[in-house]
Amino acid sequence: MDVCTFEKVGIRGTNIVVLGVEKKSVAKLQDERTVRKICALDDHVCMAFAGLTADARVVINRARVECQSHKLTVEDPVTVEYITRFIATLKQKYTQSNGRRPFGISALIVGFDDDGIPRLYQTDPSGTYHAWKANAIGRSAKTVREFLEKNYTEDAIASDNEAIKLAIKALLEVVQSGGKNIELAIRRRNQPLKMFSAKEVELYVTEIEKEKEEAEKKKSKKSV
Amino acid sequence: MAATFFGEVVKAPCRAGTEDEEEEEEEEGRRETPEDREVRQQLARKREVRLLRRQTKTSLEVSLLEKYPCSKFIIAIGNNAVAFLSSFVMNSGVWEEVGCAKLWNEWCRTADTTHLSSTEAFCGFYHLKSNPSVFGSCPRKNMQITILTCRHVTDYKTLESTGSLPSPFLKALKTQNFKDPACCPLLEQPNIVHDLPAAVLSYCQVWKIPAILYLCYTDVMKLDLITVEAFKPILSTRSLKGLVKNIPQSTEILKKLMTTNEIQSNIYT
Repeated sequence: MDVCTFEKVGIRGTNIVVLGVEKKSVAKLQDERTVRKICALDDHVCMAFAGLTADARVVINRARVECQSHKLTVEDPVTVEYITRFIATLKQKYTQSNGRRPFGISALIVGFDDDGIPRLYQTDPSGTYHAWKANAIGRSAKTVREFLEKNYTEDAIASDNEAIKLAIKALLEVVQSGGKNIELAIRRRNQPLKMFSAKEVELYVTEIEKEKEEAEKKKSKKSV
Repeated sequence: MAATFFGEVVKAPCRAGTEDEEEEEEEEGRRETPEDREVRQQLARKREVRLLRRQTKTSLEVSLLEKYPCSKFIIAIGNNAVAFLSSFVMNSGVWEEVGCAKLWNEWCRTADTTHLSSTEAFCGFYHLKSNPSVFGSCPRKNMQITILTCRHVTDYKTLESTGSLPSPFLKALKTQNFKDPACCPLLEQPNIVHDLPAAVLSYCQVWKIPAILYLCYTDVMKLDLITVEAFKPILSTRSLKGLVKNIPQSTEILKKLMTTNEIQSNIYT
C-alpha cells in the first residue's frame, strides 16, 4: 500500500526510539494541527502510518480503546508486541470477511516495554507483523531501507543524537524539500513522547549538512 | 449487463450486431426514434479535428508533417511523459510552437465549436529552432519516431508478484525498421499496448517508419516526480542524445512543475 504515500522511518536505538515522517504540503486554508501522522496509542506506544487516512483513524481508535481496556483488565500497560498483534489481527480479519475490504495502511509502531527494552514493529494490510531494528514505509520505502541497511550500525545508534540523525538522513534521501518537510518524534526510556519543532529539526539538518561537507573536504584532501 | 454507481443495473449496448427476436420485443420501448437519430447525426457532423498554425491561427491545409518534414518526431502521451519532455528536452534549446491540433466531440465541456481557446488544444507541435532536422527539413524517409507514455502497473502481466516489481519501470516496443538498441528491456508477451501509442506504432509499422515506444509502468498515474524520472534512461539513446543539455536545471524545472501542479489530497498520508 505504497501508492501516493509519504515516507515514514522508524529507528530502534539502544535507549531511544525515533519516528520520522515526511510532512506533506498542507493547503493554505487548512489547519496544520489536524493533519497528524504520528499518533500516540498510549503513554508509552506511538504509531506512524502510511496509506488511507480514514482507515488509519479507525485502526488507531480501536487500538487506543484496546490499550485502555487492557490496562483496566490486567492492570498493566500493553506491551508493544501485544498492541501490534492486536492491530495485525484486526487487519487480517478484514482480509477474510465478505463484504469488507482490507485496511489500506501500513504502520510503524514504536515504544518501550515495562522491561525497558525499545521495540519497533511494522504491520501491513495483509495483517502480518514483524519486529525491525530500523524500517521505512511509504512510496520510496525501498530506497530508504537500502540507505538504512548501509548505515545502521551499532555505532550509529549508540547515542540518542546519532539515532536521530540517522532517521533524518534516511528521510533526506527521498524527501524533496529538505528539513522543513520533516516531522520527528522520539521517545526515551521512562520519558514521554517528544515531538520536535521545525526549528529543532532544522538544527539537526544543519549539523548533518556540516558533517557532510567536512567528510567531502577530507575525501578531496586524501585524493590530492 | 453493467452496474452503475447508484446500483441500478443497465443493459450494456451489444457490439455483436443482431440480437435475438425475444430481446428485441422486450426492447421496443427503448428503440431509437427518428428524433434520436437526427440528434446523433448532428453531433457526428459537429465532431472535428483541426490543425492550426500558431501565428495566424488559420488552418493548415496540408498535413503538418509535409509542411515541416522532420527526421526526429517525439510524441509524449500522458501527463508524466509530457512533464518529462517539457522539463528535460524542451528546456534545453529553443523550441518554437508551430501549431496545434484541436478537437471537439460531444464529450467536450464547451458547446462552442468555432472559438476554442488555446488552452483547449488537444496537442501542441513544437520544432527545435537551432536544429531544424528535428522537425525540420530532412526528407520523410529518414524520420524516426519516439513515443513516450505511461500505464498503470496493474496492467502489467507477469509471473512475478506485483509487490516485487521495481515500479516505476520502463519497457520498450519497436517497429521492424528500428535498428538501434532500446535503453530498456522489450515489452514481453502477453502484454499489449493500447490507445493512441498503439495506433501510432501500428501506423509506423505498416508504413515502415522506424519507431520506438517507451512505456513506463507506474503505480501513480497522476503527475509524479519518481515516474517522470523513470524516463531518464531514454536521454542516453540516439533519439534524444544531443537534445538534452542541462540535466540539473531540468531537474529543478521538473520540481517546480510538480509543486505548481500538486493536487491537495487528504485521502492518503
